[in-house]
Amino acid sequence: MTEPLVTFRNVKKHFGEFVAVREMDLDIHAGEFLAIMGSSGCGKTTTLRMLAGLEAPTSGEIRIGGDLMNEVKPHERETPLVWQSLALFPFLSARENVEFGLKMRGVGKEERKRRALEWLDRMEIGEFAERNITTLSGGQKQRVALARSLVMEPKMLLLDEPLSALDANLVIRMQAVLTRLQKELGITFVYVTHSQSEAFAMADRVVIMSQGEIAQVGSPKDIYRAPANRFVAEFVGRNNILSGTVASLDGETVTISTPSGAFVATAPDTARSVGADATFVVSADLVSVSREEPTGENRVLCTLISEEFVGSMVTLFLESADGHEFKVQMQERDLIELDLHNDDQIWLSWAVQNAHVLDHE
Amino acid sequence: MKRKFDLYAMTWRLPIIFWQLLFFVGPLLFMVAISFFVVKNYRMTEAFEMVNWQKMLSRGYFWDSYWYTIFIAGISTTVAMLLAFPASFALAFRASDNLRRWAIFLLIIPFFTSYLVRTFSWYVILAESGVVNAMLGQIGLGPFKMLNTHFGTVIGYLTLTLPLVVILQTVTMANVDKTLIEAARNLGCKPLATIWRVVLPLSKTGLIVAALFCFILSFGDFVAPFYLGGSQEPTLPILILDTTKSGQQWPRAAVVAIMMMATLFTIAFAAIALAYRKGGAR
Repeated sequence: MTEPLVTFRNVKKHFGEFVAVREMDLDIHAGEFLAIMGSSGCGKTTTLRMLAGLEAPTSGEIRIGGDLMNEVKPHERETPLVWQSLALFPFLSARENVEFGLKMRGVGKEERKRRALEWLDRMEIGEFAERNITTLSGGQKQRVALARSLVMEPKMLLLDEPLSALDANLVIRMQAVLTRLQKELGITFVYVTHSQSEAFAMADRVVIMSQGEIAQVGSPKDIYRAPANRFVAEFVGRNNILSGTVASLDGETVTISTPSGAFVATAPDTARSVGADATFVVSADLVSVSREEPTGENRVLCTLISEEFVGSMVTLFLESADGHEFKVQMQERDLIELDLHNDDQIWLSWAVQNAHVLDHE
Repeated sequence: MKRKFDLYAMTWRLPIIFWQLLFFVGPLLFMVAISFFVVKNYRMTEAFEMVNWQKMLSRGYFWDSYWYTIFIAGISTTVAMLLAFPASFALAFRASDNLRRWAIFLLIIPFFTSYLVRTFSWYVILAESGVVNAMLGQIGLGPFKMLNTHFGTVIGYLTLTLPLVVILQTVTMANVDKTLIEAARNLGCKPLATIWRVVLPLSKTGLIVAALFCFILSFGDFVAPFYLGGSQEPTLPILILDTTKSGQQWPRAAVVAIMMMATLFTIAFAAIALAYRKGGAR
């Protein structure tokens, strides 16, 4: 394994009494698309700002390419940031905005102009090069902001919720632009967002933060299928979370008895004992629905409470006999075949390998 | 569609229109008219002659005074803008919101006292046997002549304008988006260079308006050049006074006043055009 591009070692950041980041250890690898996700105030933006040198860590070490960066000033780093507000200079034209960083680095006038125009063309906004920034649309400004950072040819691009100001269909298009750029350039993207769909759609790895700490690091698929703890399971959403006590152990699997019944789930290789508390999750799209009682280990009879449609997908909200809420996600056309109505009784079931015991609460 | 005459709305608009016509446009037109009157045997008589304009605009002392007034007001404006800037910058970017509010409140306090009174207090400080010379004398310097000099005039102007300039600059720069300063740093701009690259362009409008106010107040001020400047080199307001005193030449004083107004109009127009000019194609 090659040296990581960035390492955080035991990094803390306090603002007076407030602890923004506590004891963070994180490696960021060259060429990966890393998303840092969490709700507001979780420390994700502070982490990014420390990478850009806009905040100095209170303690711990941040290294980029092996060099200790704690006290290196922002203008002495090559860590361009795409800001949530875009932070384009309103008194400059699109081209002058893109040239700004090159000018600060002492690149000559002609060279600057050539490179700026090249990037504006690449972002498909070459025709607006001489336009005043305030006359451009949201999507065009977004592209100028990206060009302004990428023209510096950095090894790493920092992005702070850059798509949050755009409307939904534009977000999808910009996501495609960003993932394509990242693959083409082969540079590291560190992308801070509160949006799960953005993080999961684009990132190779996702860091989920909560109250200044990393809750889980992993590929979107790992995090989605096997959340490490209750916070992640709830944050990721559309998960069925069931708690109970361990009834029996059998190698890779455990039987957990919950108020809704006993279920078998796969457990990662952490030591467990009979009688201990345990929680497992099943993602809503891996739950099957049937009229007839299914045969597998994991089944529960529920009452349909409500349905929620998002496009061709539908989420069913159901309740077991003990009042626990279950969620099932399925294609709308499959639902039509079932011909379900509210208050209907129906069986839910899922495979053992799709039920994951949380490492810890 | 025909625009209907709205009696209700007009009722509210009329007082201000009436006020402006009566006390601003009227006197102004009257002053223009006076500038064509003639004075015979110390009595002003109605006429329409170019003689006052020809006389005033061909006199060397008028132009000396004209350029001197522009020069000294310009110097004072430059000094005020430069002196105020570090203070305003600190208040805008370093001070807490609370401290900034208090500072602006304190900067308003000088305006509670009459400007004339504040000007007189400089006598005590700047006189040959005043506070400053007494202190400099202790370390073997001076005494320096500070009253009745250009220096005195500028000090007087600053008394009038400096608090206002600090307030205007502070309010302008406090509105600068701090993210843009960070963005510049992020793109490799050194801390001090952000003032030139980001803060000044962003606060251009407010800063130009502050300078314009400072210039207008200094240009038209009578008190500072008269009491602290000693009026050996008369500024235009002093020239107006002298002209009316000597031989009741109200028409010639009107010529000077109109020239002053025309100058201020031109400068204000140019300054505001500059203040609101934007970069890049629209």
